[in-house]
Amino acid sequence: MATEDRRSYADGFGQVSRTVGIIFRYLLLAATLFGIAVLAILLVYVANDAIQPLTADAGWHLTFFLTLVLPSLATGGYLAWSNVDGLKLGAMTLGLFVVGLLFSGGVAIIFLEVLPPLVWFAYVIAFAVPVAVTVGLQQRSRQIPFVSRFALATLAFYLSLFGFPGIVGSYAELPQLIPSVATLILFAPIVPLDWIQLTLTVGVFAATPVALYASAISDRRTGLIAGAAALATVAASAVVGPAVVGVGPIPSVVLASVAVLPTAAYVCGTAVTREQARIGLVLPVVIVAGALAGEVLVDTLGYAGPQSWVDWQFLTSDHSGTAANAGLYPAIAGSILLMLTVAALSFPIGVGAALYLEEYAPDNRYTRFIDVNISNLAGVPSVVYGLLGLGLFVTRLGQSTGTILVGGATLALLILPIVIISSREAIRSVPSEMRQASYGMGATRWQTMKNVVLPRAFPGILTGTILALGRAIGETAPLIMIGAPNVLYSFPSELSSKVSAMPLQVYSWASYFATNDFYEKAVPAGVVVLVTVLLAMNSIAIVLRNRYQRET
Amino acid sequence: MSQENMSNDNVESPTEDPTDDDMLLETDVTSGLEEGTQGSRTTHERTIVEAKDVNVWYNQDQALRDITMQVPENKVTAMIGPSGCGKSTFLRCINRMNDMIDAARVEGELYLGEKNVYDDDVDPVALRRRVGMVFQKPNPFPKSIYDNVAYGLNIQDIGGDHDAIVEESLKRAALWDEVKDQLDESGLDLSGGQQQRLCIARAIAPDPEVILMDEPASALDPVATSKIEDLIDELAEDYTVIIVTHNMQQAARISDKTAVFLTGGELVEFGDTKKIFENPDNERVEDYITGKFG
Amino acid sequence: MSTDDLTEDLTRNTANAPPELLTRSFFFLCAVLSIFTTLAIIALLVTEAAKFFSVTAPLMGIEGETASVVEFLTGTEWIIGEGKFGVLALVTSTVMVTLGSAIIALPLGVATAIYLSEYADPQVRSLLKPALEILAGVPTVVYGFFALIYITPALRTVFPSIGTFNLLSASIVVGIMIIPMVASISEDAMSAVPDDLRQAGYGMGATKFEVSTGIVVPAALSGILSSFILALSRAIGETMAVTVAAGAQAKFHNPFNPAAYLDGGSPMTATMVNLLTGDITGGGLAYRSLFAIGLTLFVITFAMNVISELVAQRYREEY
Repeated sequence: MATEDRRSYADGFGQVSRTVGIIFRYLLLAATLFGIAVLAILLVYVANDAIQPLTADAGWHLTFFLTLVLPSLATGGYLAWSNVDGLKLGAMTLGLFVVGLLFSGGVAIIFLEVLPPLVWFAYVIAFAVPVAVTVGLQQRSRQIPFVSRFALATLAFYLSLFGFPGIVGSYAELPQLIPSVATLILFAPIVPLDWIQLTLTVGVFAATPVALYASAISDRRTGLIAGAAALATVAASAVVGPAVVGVGPIPSVVLASVAVLPTAAYVCGTAVTREQARIGLVLPVVIVAGALAGEVLVDTLGYAGPQSWVDWQFLTSDHSGTAANAGLYPAIAGSILLMLTVAALSFPIGVGAALYLEEYAPDNRYTRFIDVNISNLAGVPSVVYGLLGLGLFVTRLGQSTGTILVGGATLALLILPIVIISSREAIRSVPSEMRQASYGMGATRWQTMKNVVLPRAFPGILTGTILALGRAIGETAPLIMIGAPNVLYSFPSELSSKVSAMPLQVYSWASYFATNDFYEKAVPAGVVVLVTVLLAMNSIAIVLRNRYQRET
Repeated sequence: MSQENMSNDNVESPTEDPTDDDMLLETDVTSGLEEGTQGSRTTHERTIVEAKDVNVWYNQDQALRDITMQVPENKVTAMIGPSGCGKSTFLRCINRMNDMIDAARVEGELYLGEKNVYDDDVDPVALRRRVGMVFQKPNPFPKSIYDNVAYGLNIQDIGGDHDAIVEESLKRAALWDEVKDQLDESGLDLSGGQQQRLCIARAIAPDPEVILMDEPASALDPVATSKIEDLIDELAEDYTVIIVTHNMQQAARISDKTAVFLTGGELVEFGDTKKIFENPDNERVEDYITGKFG
Repeated sequence: MSTDDLTEDLTRNTANAPPELLTRSFFFLCAVLSIFTTLAIIALLVTEAAKFFSVTAPLMGIEGETASVVEFLTGTEWIIGEGKFGVLALVTSTVMVTLGSAIIALPLGVATAIYLSEYADPQVRSLLKPALEILAGVPTVVYGFFALIYITPALRTVFPSIGTFNLLSASIVVGIMIIPMVASISEDAMSAVPDDLRQAGYGMGATKFEVSTGIVVPAALSGILSSFILALSRAIGETMAVTVAAGAQAKFHNPFNPAAYLDGGSPMTATMVNLLTGDITGGGLAYRSLFAIGLTLFVITFAMNVISELVAQRYREEY
């Protein structure tokens, strides 16, 4: 009897505690989802304001629903049920293409507005020549001591980029005796067409990894063929693009190199290596075909699309006093230039500092001091970094206010602690057996770093840097602090131009042009573009990290 | 940077022809322990590594006590003992891998040839270029098989025909036949035993004086282990092999000399393997060998 | 090869070979740069702020208008036109936004951390963690815009008297923004709690709820606290969201009066931005006040970061 009683009591108690446990569990889940849900709702609102889908005809929605949404959902659902790997592969391909499109847009802006293809071409060649000299010297490393090699290589770079006596001579007001390789090309009587210049530079940069990838999964011969085919595709795009799609030769070449080639290489590569999953490639095909078919149908049936504010006009016009004409173009270009500056400054310094702290520094008080200092710097408000930029670069070093260089340097200081901390984590995760093996073979520290640690830690370092760069291009306050203009009408085309950036432009619209049109349309459109870019960067970083974690 | 520093730098200078391996000392071994010989190898022993009163501390803990021993060249010398007895620590003293540990402190003299490797003017990196090492866990680099073997040649800037040296090293490591068609593939794609042989090939490619092995077979299955053991036997024709093992049978099978370390970091007995296993002088060694403790 | 060659070989100096020396020096400089950054921040803020206060301005060779330290620290009015620089008018708004965001972010962040560390299975985690990172990855100016355009009108349906610029909407978005920070640092602390402790709890017949709240959370307490301090410091330094959402009108509020949240205010960071986007000329008193606020902000956040570091060290020592 007694035991019976006790059991029923225990059962009842178990019931209560189980209920509490379940309630607690769902409360926690709700708390976890709260922030994400709020953000998602806000994003839906802002996207609605920016894109205005409800202004489209019902027929437009129906057409796209039938050609795009339904088939995509069906394919996606089928893949999710039958072949999850395939679904991942399909999504990955699509993502790669979209990211490639975003990227090629950025690169095309640079070549169209900032950097004339000829200048780029001249400097790439002027760089390639001394690199070739250095490699040649390196192969003769046994005959020539390091110091002479170093001096010769430096000389080769200097002559090729600046000529003789070059910039040093111009300070001393000496006449230029020997022109640099870059000048020779810039002032050559005959130069190849601009799209050929890009094909020979950007195209080659894109085709080389394709060739390496192909030779890695197959053999060297296939690699060569793939590389040649890739280069031919890029060259062909310059002809096909203007003739068929109506895109200029420069954007066509960029598009082919940055978006089409990597996607195509990925598709071909996975189709060969991952037979189980390659059915997933149907998904992007369905989506792209659906979108095209929908577009054609809508055109022929005469249904009007939504009056979206995020359109070609918005992306390619300058700022204007009226919301309807306002565009984000200078701000996009400014963000790209800022990002390049920040990356060029913070990546080498951040990785260098991380390497020093992880691999070189003795474990003593000074190292720990630097350590604590870096984590404190990561917590300093961005507006204080802005003051630092203002006081240090503008007031003390006499730079003019609000230039891209000053902005980039300030943002680089801001994200440096983040880059250092994430790079250290990546370096620390390199297994110590790898280091031991290298040191055991008699490698010096730098040889071990160069051959073993850095290649292994690179994906992790890259992930951290991309996330930090995302933070940098989302920052507004430091730019305001260094005196960035509220509104930029002219195009930022060099490092000494006044800075403009997407978040800054959005802030200006929201604060100084506070009309309903700006609030309800231009600002949401700017927000959508900015958030899209940042989400793309975040996804690249997350995908990279997931792959990398799986490998280690 | 001073001029002396620059002239001192001969890292990039050509190293000797790697097939030339008669760089040894004509020091006769005087210790009575080394009189006996085993197998058909030379009876005229020369010392290549000599320890004199080596003491090692990790912070306050003493890991090795007054180790004195002479390792003969072109022989396999095994170091056995229970775990924590300091045998791996001693091995890592020989190529100064202990320098990597901040807390480790080494006292005493340890000669490679005629040079005390703990002299101030000895560069540990240069030392490790003459003393190869194979680790407990196979640790090939995430590079191709070819690049793994050629790693030492590249970092030490050794000239000559790398293809030939890689082939020769892989042959000596008894791996050539298994991998000759896949030299471009990653070293990590090999099986554990193959990886360890790849590591041995990597260690012998730059033609070191001495090869240190830290329990090289402990992570492998019996078949792979026996291959490694055969390999060590062959390597001893050209190299001095010093191997740490916790496996007494293995030491008995492959070594010419055996050093027994016991807890506390003492070298209790050092001598011909045969003698150690059949008739050790020291009672504690006998207890250990017969499995009474350890 | 002779013995001499071996000896010579062993004594070659690889550590100071040019490539080694160059790379090592470069890496060292990179690491030391962080010290210079800190020193530069401190030196700059201190010297510029010194030009602002009447006590120190003569030392800096500044003549003309200055402000008194006592008035700066105790004044409750910030009206540049009238030369009134009372930082409390700004600090109270900062405190309110910090408190308001803490009320949202601390419980939600800890709940998220418990869920991720104790309940979520790996697949759910691998989806939720990047999603949370995105919360922190959205630019702050976008959050400010959300507060101004969507959240404030939504709040107006509940509180009809709410201003266009108000501290409540600013607090809400700052709160959402710092959830990931609380969550990820607390989760790290909870994951560091040894499984033995959990096993012991289950062994005693405790439920998952009891183990989570009774064992894991107390054991990870110092880590959780450190995440709180860091997140609050982040909220204090948060700039663009409050600039856009809270407005530019410096007002002294009683931070513990809930009704004040419906009103606008100008936190320290927002004031700094507004000072620079307004028409101030370099070298004037208003310009120098920028650095005085900056110094105040830096001292507060720096102190909080140091405290958080000290608290966090405790949990690192425990396990």
